[in-house]
Amino acid sequence: MIARINIWYLSSFLISLIVAIPIIMIFSSFFETTSEYSLVLKETFLSEYVINSLTLLIGVLILTSIIGIGCAYLVSFYNFFGANFFKWALILSFAVPAYIYSYSLGAFFDNYGTAYSILNSLSGNIISNSTIPKLDGMFGAMLAISFSIFGYVYVLTRTSFHYQSQNLIDLGKNLGFSKKKTFFKIILPSARPSIVAGLSLVAMETLSDFGSVSFFGISTLTTGIYNAWVTFDDLTLANRLSFYLLMFIFLLFTIENLSRKKAQYHTLPKSGFKTKTKINLKGYKSILAFSICFLVFFISFLFPVIQMSYWTFLFPKHFFDLNLINLLSNTLILVILSCSLLIALSFISNYGNRITKSKLLQSLTTFSISGYAMPGIILAVAYISFISFLDENIFIFENYNIKSFFIGSIFGLVIVYFVRFYSLANNGIKSGYLKINYSIDESAYLLGYSKIKTFKNIHLPYLKNSIFLVIILLLIEIIKELPITLIMRPFNFDTFATTAYTYASQDLLEAAAAPAIILILISSAFILLTSKYILNEQS
Amino acid sequence: MNNFFEINNVTFAASKKNKVNNVSLKIENEGDVICLLGPSGIGKTTILRTIAGLEKINSGSISLNGKVISSNKIHVEPEDRNISLSFQDNSLFPHYNVIDNIKFGADRNSRKTKKLKLDDVIEFLHLENIKSKYPHEISSGEAQRAALARSLLSMPDLLLLDEPLSNIDQNFKEEIQVKLKQILREYKITTIIVTHDSYEAFYLGNKCGIILNGQLKQFDDPYNVHHFPNSIEVVNFLNKGILIPATVVDEKTLENNDLGIINGDFIKHYPKGANVKLLLQPEDLEHDDKSSLKLEVVDKKFRGTNFIYTLKTQSNLLIPVFVHSHHVHQHEVEEKFGVKKPIHIDHIVCFD
Repeated sequence: MIARINIWYLSSFLISLIVAIPIIMIFSSFFETTSEYSLVLKETFLSEYVINSLTLLIGVLILTSIIGIGCAYLVSFYNFFGANFFKWALILSFAVPAYIYSYSLGAFFDNYGTAYSILNSLSGNIISNSTIPKLDGMFGAMLAISFSIFGYVYVLTRTSFHYQSQNLIDLGKNLGFSKKKTFFKIILPSARPSIVAGLSLVAMETLSDFGSVSFFGISTLTTGIYNAWVTFDDLTLANRLSFYLLMFIFLLFTIENLSRKKAQYHTLPKSGFKTKTKINLKGYKSILAFSICFLVFFISFLFPVIQMSYWTFLFPKHFFDLNLINLLSNTLILVILSCSLLIALSFISNYGNRITKSKLLQSLTTFSISGYAMPGIILAVAYISFISFLDENIFIFENYNIKSFFIGSIFGLVIVYFVRFYSLANNGIKSGYLKINYSIDESAYLLGYSKIKTFKNIHLPYLKNSIFLVIILLLIEIIKELPITLIMRPFNFDTFATTAYTYASQDLLEAAAAPAIILILISSAFILLTSKYILNEQS
Repeated sequence: MNNFFEINNVTFAASKKNKVNNVSLKIENEGDVICLLGPSGIGKTTILRTIAGLEKINSGSISLNGKVISSNKIHVEPEDRNISLSFQDNSLFPHYNVIDNIKFGADRNSRKTKKLKLDDVIEFLHLENIKSKYPHEISSGEAQRAALARSLLSMPDLLLLDEPLSNIDQNFKEEIQVKLKQILREYKITTIIVTHDSYEAFYLGNKCGIILNGQLKQFDDPYNVHHFPNSIEVVNFLNKGILIPATVVDEKTLENNDLGIINGDFIKHYPKGANVKLLLQPEDLEHDDKSSLKLEVVDKKFRGTNFIYTLKTQSNLLIPVFVHSHHVHQHEVEEKFGVKKPIHIDHIVCFD
């Protein structure tokens, strides 16, 4: 054991420890005292927070399963006009963050909003605001979140369907099953682990949503955490609330993890695999399938894009008021710094784990990357708690406090991004590494290559595709990221996400449209670039 | 005199249960080839991995060129040993084509004065047509040949080959064996080969080691291993003969109830009257149609150059006998088969 401790081991250990800090901070909040607000909260809003969070969760889970599984089934088992287009077009919904979707809903259905304008121009000003349904509040949040993240269920279920063998379906036919019975008895159960994995991700995202629920004014555990910290300046309570939320998320994380393991088993084409024959739909059935997919594509992607574009063209002043160079350079700085840090440290950690083969290190890495399940807002609060703890107890200087360096700075922001997206980078690199047999490393050593030279000459060239994919995914996530950026950014430092949020929170949705549409278009471009990987169809 | 390579009382452990205990062997001269034989999963690969430095040892020592490279205190890293291991499974770098993979080997000891030429190795291993292909585009046999080329070109102080020809087509195999032996000898590449093919081991090795039941049972010249196996376990493992009961008559004679008198030179002395188990190999009996010793044919295998008849004695012993396949008179199952009397065996190998 002692022989294994080397520079790689120590570096990997340290990296995992840094990533695990927020989790440790949240657990430690139980040993600290909270303000009186906690008592007030318990007696007043806590139950409302919990009930709202659960209601939102259940609603989103139902909607995303119907949309995600339905679309995945249609594009996987049937040929109809546009089926190949919808296969990847439906993942474009990932480009629209829930908070921007919420702004679109607000902009369209609000009093004197786009719906009102369209209907009145068509009907000659006879429609009043009261006749237009208001898709806001809890229902609005459910819709916004569902249509922006149903992609998780769609992508994972479609992959599972994609790799289902024709033999399974033929087996159903042999047993005399109808199409309906085949779907419910064979197709759906064998995709169950993937569906559960997708729904678990949806659940985690829903519970950690901040932008949508705050826009629609719904009090959930996430907004409770934000209020405890911002309004009542009680970091301990914020951490304690985070703990409750985290426990719930860890439960989902465990379910997701277990399901994923099984999902892999189900989706890998083993021996006896026979490629599925898609059924050609004709006539009204083809039109129906097309309409369903188009409707989902329209609502999830085209609607927010059109709404945001429309307002951008309608109010061009806001577009020209945007300091585009500044926003782009800020985004670029964050992307470059975060990606460099994440890729470099993920490599060190993966390589350290690979060459030391230490079970302790592997367990610590697994524990620390579970941070991906933590909402951004919790991470930011936990990070601030940690820095405050260091400032008050360890690094005590007369004329200087470390808070100014770590909080409200690009450095601090990048560190929290690092913790938030470490699992994405780490898993991306890890999945690349899993394809490299250990004997490849050993062959290199036996050809006289040192550890560093093996890394440089063998691993890096092999993993370049994985690195590219990870960078693109990080880029999409960082561009869309809201709560961490909002809390941790330096004064006057804006990204497209924070600009859109700032305008929206001031009820200036027309001004939020320009940064929102730019954000959607950039994300869409990068999603298309990686669509083969996202759809799991890369060679 | 220092041995070129030496393993001194080392226990090789693949796992807690699977160990090869207290192995000691030496390669006296640079350029010698030794082959290790043993059943699957016995730990042969672990021995190679340990010698290569991929596994550590807790006791004993391994030395190369007079320098200890492994002991409980010393562990020279694999990259610093100048030992090359050609793995049994495909260990080509997947993102480089065959020629680039091979060049990794050539780059290693590029300063050596006497070195193999890249083109020569490619030619002898028949890699011309797959040079620009990637590992996933070639067969396992081709990958194995490419890995062998890479290892050979690295001109290591010690070359370790793990089942190097196991996936190679039969039509190439013999040709490659011949050329490989020639190259190893010409370039004085000291080599340890692990194989399950005893003919390959007997052909390529200056010495052969038999690993059975967690021990190196015999380490000797191929001739001796074949003709003078030192234990019943080795006889059973090599499966090149049977053991029949016999009684020692005098210093040059034994007697078996079914086969009668058997003459020859004893390898080990046994007292008169001792009951022993005699090793009878297929080449020990001679066919003679005129002989009065007739045994029943129960099986006949055609092996190209010869037939192997399995004969049944009165007490139901099953004895294999070689007969040249050009022998005009053949015998079918259930027919009688004449065995020349008295039986003469050059080296009589017996066990208690």
